[in-house]
Amino acid sequence: MPEKAPWADVFVVGIPRSLLYYRFGVLWTTFFEALGRHVVVSEATDKAIADRGEQLSVDECCLASKVFMGHVDSLVGRCDAVFVPSYPTADHRSGFCTKFQSVTDMVRNTFRDKHLEVISCEVGNVRKMRDVRRPFEEMALRMGVSRADAHKAFKTAWSAQAAHDKACNEAQERVLRQLVAERRSAATQPLKQPPLGILVVAHPYIAHDTYLSGAVLDALRDMGAQVVFADALDHDHTYKKSFEFSDTMPWIINRELIGAILSVEDKVDGIVLISAFPCGPDSMTDDAIMRCIQGKPILNLMIDAQSGTAGVETRVESFVDILRFQQKGGYTHG
Amino acid sequence: MAKPQSMIEQVRSSVAVEFVRKRKPTLRRDKKAKKKAKHYAKHHRPKKAAFFRYCYYDPAFKFFVEQVLDVDYLPLPEATRQTTEVGVQNSSDYVCTPYKHILGDFVEALDLGADLVIQFGGPCRLGYYGELQESTLRDMGYEFEMLNFARGIEKGYLGWAKEVLSTANPDIDIPHGVVKLKGTAKMMEHLDAVRDYFLAHGGFECTRGSFDKAWNAYMNELRCATDERDINQAYKHVMEQFADIEIQKPANPIRIGIVGEMFTAIDERSNLGLDHKLMDLGVEVHRMLNFTNRYLHYNEPNLRVGAKDYITYDMGPTSTLTIAAAKQYAQSGFDGIIHAKSAGCTPEIDCIPVLQKVSEDFGVPILYLTYDSQTSDTGLDTRLEAFYDMLAMKKEKLS
Repeated sequence: MPEKAPWADVFVVGIPRSLLYYRFGVLWTTFFEALGRHVVVSEATDKAIADRGEQLSVDECCLASKVFMGHVDSLVGRCDAVFVPSYPTADHRSGFCTKFQSVTDMVRNTFRDKHLEVISCEVGNVRKMRDVRRPFEEMALRMGVSRADAHKAFKTAWSAQAAHDKACNEAQERVLRQLVAERRSAATQPLKQPPLGILVVAHPYIAHDTYLSGAVLDALRDMGAQVVFADALDHDHTYKKSFEFSDTMPWIINRELIGAILSVEDKVDGIVLISAFPCGPDSMTDDAIMRCIQGKPILNLMIDAQSGTAGVETRVESFVDILRFQQKGGYTHG
Repeated sequence: MAKPQSMIEQVRSSVAVEFVRKRKPTLRRDKKAKKKAKHYAKHHRPKKAAFFRYCYYDPAFKFFVEQVLDVDYLPLPEATRQTTEVGVQNSSDYVCTPYKHILGDFVEALDLGADLVIQFGGPCRLGYYGELQESTLRDMGYEFEMLNFARGIEKGYLGWAKEVLSTANPDIDIPHGVVKLKGTAKMMEHLDAVRDYFLAHGGFECTRGSFDKAWNAYMNELRCATDERDINQAYKHVMEQFADIEIQKPANPIRIGIVGEMFTAIDERSNLGLDHKLMDLGVEVHRMLNFTNRYLHYNEPNLRVGAKDYITYDMGPTSTLTIAAAKQYAQSGFDGIIHAKSAGCTPEIDCIPVLQKVSEDFGVPILYLTYDSQTSDTGLDTRLEAFYDMLAMKKEKLS
C-alpha cells in the first residue's frame, strides 16, 4: 500500500513564477497559504534564470517552457517541494497545450538527480469549479490535511482568484473607457492628438513577464500608446465569444484571446500579437487571426531568447507609424 | 551543446494591414454557403471522397469510404515534391510538419476531382488541423465539403455519427455501416500485424524485394476487399506468402525499436523511408506505435502503470505509448531505440527528458530524429549508418 500522506512534511512550497502561474497563481498561493503552508514564489525572470532554463531543456522546447525550467531550478534548495500541476485537455474545447499536461513529469525527470520533491495534481476542466476542486482536495489529503480544511482552503482560493481576475478585467475596462473618452474629446479639438489604443494579444505568461515581452510593451508605451491586455479581459465572456470565430479550437487561453479580439476590436487602433518561439497553439491561431481579422492592422511578433531590444523597437515603431498615419487620414482617403 | 538554428534570428515579425473589413472575422463559412452545402449534401451526394496519405492505411480508408460512408473513393497517387511544396507554401512556418503534408494532399485531391475530404481529430494540435485547413483551402478558392472528425466529438460517438450523416451521406444504412466499421477496424488490426511481421523479418530476406512484393500484393488484395471475409482471406494469403520467403537471420541480430509521433514515426513519406532504410541495413525493426495500439486497443492508464517509474500523468497523445514502448524495448535488451518526430511536435519534445532517463538507466542508445519538410535523405542515411555501426560495435564488444 502506498503511504497515505507522502507530502505531510512539505511546509515550504515553491511555485515557479512562469507559465500558468500568471493565470492561476492567486489560486495556488492562496490555497497553500490557507492550508498553513509557507509559499515561496521564484523571482521575476532574468537572464540568469533564462540561461539556466535553456541549459536544462531540450533545444526544441518553446521559450516559455525553457524559462519555466530555469524558475524551477532557482527554487531548488529554497523549499521542501515544488508545486507543478498538470493541466491536461479535459474538455475538447477548453484544453491546454500539451506542454501544461506534461510539465510535471518533465520536471520530475529533469531534476531527478537533484532529488527535488514535486507535488502536483491533475486538474480537470478549468471552467468547472468542481473539476478543479477535487484534485486540489486530494492533493491536500496527501499533504496530511483533513478534507474539511482542504475544502475550506479551496473555497478561499477560488474566490481569491475570481476577485483577482475581476480586478484585472476592471483595470482593462477602465483603459478602454478612457480611450473612448479621449477619442471623443480629440474629435472636437483638432489640435489634440487622438489616443492610440493597442490590444496586446499574448499568453499571460508572455504578456506579464517583463523579461520576455517588456521590450515590446516599453516600446509601445514610449511611442505614446495605451496598452490593453487581451488575456486580462473577462474570461467567461471572451471564451463564449470565441465560438463565433472557431468551432473546434481546443485551447482555452487561445480561445479567450480570440474572444477578446472580437469584443474590443472596435475600441482599439491596432493589435499586437506576441508569441514565444515556437509556440504550438500560436503557430496555428496567429495564422488564422492574421487572415480573418480585418479592419485593424495587426503586428505579429515572435520572440526568442531575448538579447537585443533594437529589433523589437524598430518593428514596433514602424507599426505605430502606420497607425498614426491612418489616424491622420491614411491611405484609404486618397 | 550547439545552438540550434532558431537562435540565430532574434525577432520574427509580420504585419497585416487591412483597414476595410472585407470578410467576417470567423473561420466559419457564411450562412448562405452553409445552407447551400446542407441542401447539396441532402439532395446531391458528394461524388468523390479523399483521405490524406497516411502510412499504409490507404486500403482501410478506402474500405471505410466505400463500405461505411457508401461514397466513391478517390485514391491518391504517390506523393511528389510538389505536394509538400504546396502544403508548405500555404501554411504558417511553425506549424508541425504533418499539417503541411496533409494540406498538400488535400490540394492534390481537390485538383483530382474530390469534393469531400476527410480529416481526423486528436488531442494535440491535430484537433485544430481540420478547421484551419478547411478555411485555408476555401481562401485558396476550392469548393468542397470536409468531414472533420474534430467536430461533434464533444458529444461522443453520437455526435460523431451525426456529423458523418449530415456531411458525408444522409442515407447511410446505419446497421450495415456499423458492421462495416467493425470490418475497418479489423483491417487496421491486420495491416498492423502484417506490418509488424514485415518489419521484424524484412531485413533478412535472401532475395531482395520479396517481402515488398508480398506486401504490395496484400495491399492490392485489401483494396478489393468488400467484407470481413475478404479481409481475413487476404491476411491468410499474405502470411502464407511471408512464411514462404526464404530468410537468413543471424542468431542474435541487431534489434531497433522505433518510437515517436503518430504520423512521422510510421509514415514512410514523412520519415523518408525509415523502415526500409533500417531493414536494408539488416536490422530487426519493432514499432509498438500503430493505429491498433493507439486507438483500437489503447488503455492509457494501464499502459502508464508499466512506466510508472518515469511518469505519473498522461503526458500527451502518444507520450505514454512512446515511453512505455521505449522502456519495454530497453528491458528486453534491444540494441537501440529511434525516436522519430516532426519538427515542433510539443508532446514528443516533452518526452525527450524522460527518454534520456530511460537511456541512462538501461544503457540503451537512443537516436533522436526530427523531420521537417526539408530534411535531407542523404543526411538521414549517414546518421542511420553511424548509429548502426555504433550499435554493431557495442554488440561485438559485449559478446
